[in-house]
Amino acid sequence: MNTLLAVIIGALTVYLAYTLYARRIDRHVIQSDPKRKTPAVLYMDGVDFMPTNRNILFGYHFKSIAAAGPIIGAIVAANLWGWFPAIVWLILGVSFLGWASDYSGIVISIRNEGNSLSAIAHRLVSPRTRTILFVFIFFYLLLVAGAFVGIMATVLESQPKTQLGVIVLTAMGLLLGQMLYRWRTGLVRATVLTVGLTLVAILGGGLTEDVFKAFSTGLNNLTGAPLVTYFDPTLANFKGAEAKIMPSLLFWALSISAFCYAGSVLPIWRMAQPVIYVGFWITALAMVLGLAGALVAPFAKPEVAQFVIPAFKGFNPQLGPAGIMPLWPMLFVTIACGAISGWHALFGAVGTARQIENEADMLPIGGGSMFAEFLLGLLALLAVSVGAKGAPVGAFATGLGGFISVWGIPLQYATSLAFAAFIVIVLVVTQLLFRVQRVTLSEWLGDVVPPCRNQHVASLICVALAILLMLTGTWVYLWQLFGGANQMMAALSLLLVTVWLASAGKNWMYAGLPAAFMWVTTCASILVTAYNLYTNVYQINMAAGRMIPVVGSGLMILVALLLVVAALYIGLDTWRAFQRYRHRPVQQPRPAAARA
Amino acid sequence: MADAAKPKKKGGILGVFKDIVYGMSSHEMTRHAVRTRASMEHLFILITMGDLLGVPILPPYYSLRLLPYVTPQIAGWKRRMLRERDVTDVLG
Repeated sequence: MNTLLAVIIGALTVYLAYTLYARRIDRHVIQSDPKRKTPAVLYMDGVDFMPTNRNILFGYHFKSIAAAGPIIGAIVAANLWGWFPAIVWLILGVSFLGWASDYSGIVISIRNEGNSLSAIAHRLVSPRTRTILFVFIFFYLLLVAGAFVGIMATVLESQPKTQLGVIVLTAMGLLLGQMLYRWRTGLVRATVLTVGLTLVAILGGGLTEDVFKAFSTGLNNLTGAPLVTYFDPTLANFKGAEAKIMPSLLFWALSISAFCYAGSVLPIWRMAQPVIYVGFWITALAMVLGLAGALVAPFAKPEVAQFVIPAFKGFNPQLGPAGIMPLWPMLFVTIACGAISGWHALFGAVGTARQIENEADMLPIGGGSMFAEFLLGLLALLAVSVGAKGAPVGAFATGLGGFISVWGIPLQYATSLAFAAFIVIVLVVTQLLFRVQRVTLSEWLGDVVPPCRNQHVASLICVALAILLMLTGTWVYLWQLFGGANQMMAALSLLLVTVWLASAGKNWMYAGLPAAFMWVTTCASILVTAYNLYTNVYQINMAAGRMIPVVGSGLMILVALLLVVAALYIGLDTWRAFQRYRHRPVQQPRPAAARA
Repeated sequence: MADAAKPKKKGGILGVFKDIVYGMSSHEMTRHAVRTRASMEHLFILITMGDLLGVPILPPYYSLRLLPYVTPQIAGWKRRMLRERDVTDVLG
């Protein structure tokens, strides 16, 4: 297997699934009608509801859904089960489930006056479903924040040459905000300056490597001993070993948390948005060069195009002394965003759907973006499959660096760019996560616990919880728990679409079958992860008397059980609503103008 | 007349590419700028609410000066105010 063949298979998948399946559903089931007025046109308020060009919306939607998910998921899955199961799930997932979830999230919002999924759930299913959905979203954000902070701190601490780039990125983000919104500098000039300087810092990170190494050593010498010791089942070739959290790792975790705290409480134009903007150009550069490099690598540089990891490592690879990692259901939640993701449907319903001008644009934007995200996941899988053996993120960066080096860029710089792209893509998402999480916490608990309404208190609670989860050192389980919550969200959105299709008298099978599969799979995966946490982390650390990992893993097990209970309630409510709509005559849709 | 007012469509692959890059890089910032402007407009509407309803609350000279700018925004403001919102709206 080489990268060219994999890219050709990926492109064929996109073409066949889009033309033979997705278009058919769009025409015959949803019956998208270019003449029907969309909420963006009907309820245009110039702000949220605003008809927007199809190509612009495609870029907007794709960028909003494409984050670290497809990259980290592919890295973890390829290392656990091999590249073959990972690529098969990516292809089948996007073809039969992923595009359907993204597209349907937009469709259901457009056909329901631009309402969010939770508002539609409130109306179509039950008020309780909406409340449970909020709880689900909060813990979902908490899990991903914990996983991301842990991953980033580990990468930054172990790769001193990436540290300068991240510091300069933050500074350039602040500078860009100041230039654009206060000094009124032109966008092009500000972009060239800030992106250029960030790029220079990323590529020149090797020059300051020794300085940062000395800084880390100095920090570690302050205590002379690890701050936390825990049992990490992913070490020693997945057999598990003792791991230590040194002061330097905690320093980077706290630095990332401070960055995210600032991104959460400062005005969005001051930091969050400019950092995302600068980060976009860095990651876009790395990804475009990488994907194009993967295509031509078999001819230009064959040594970076051959897969080096095994195609298949077994149905139940060992991870730790007592844990289980069965291919079903765990693969299906480990690779989330490249195959199917609940986040996409959630965002599509409130962000993209309210800007779609024409129903004919629903499929190219919703489905098309998901297929583009699949290609991003495929690129990550290729990168980790050709990368050197070792730490998963390192293998990904080496692989992507190899693809970029095809264009004549020295491998050392290309790998630095790949590392930076990974960190940047995770970092910008994490700061937004904390912002949304803070708002969710305020809305959820603000009435019961008034201090939670304060943005600083809410942000600090979110940051503290994420750090606690990070200190358990079990980011793989955190990731899989997040994957379970994310895929469950996709299942819930598809369940909602199924109920809506049934209520409208349409064929609900294209959404109903994926919804049932994902609901069962994710419930099972969350329970398996809870079991793994108990046997591989909680029990082992409890026996050794290490309380921080015990508390962290205990919290994660509680969250897992809460998610399953929430999913059971939502499943039950949705099933009742489905039966109710199936057995009643189809209602004629109300004229859209009646509400205006 | 209505046709003449319509913006001309950008053609070609380059136009599509430009739109996609703009959508990925800057559309979010544009939306935020529009939202900021909308919240300022809400403030103006609040200031002139008394005069809109015929009940002078502020010294009418200033609010009457603002009325011509506020009146065109009333339809959009009404839609924004009356729309149901929840936490997930933050995502969009």
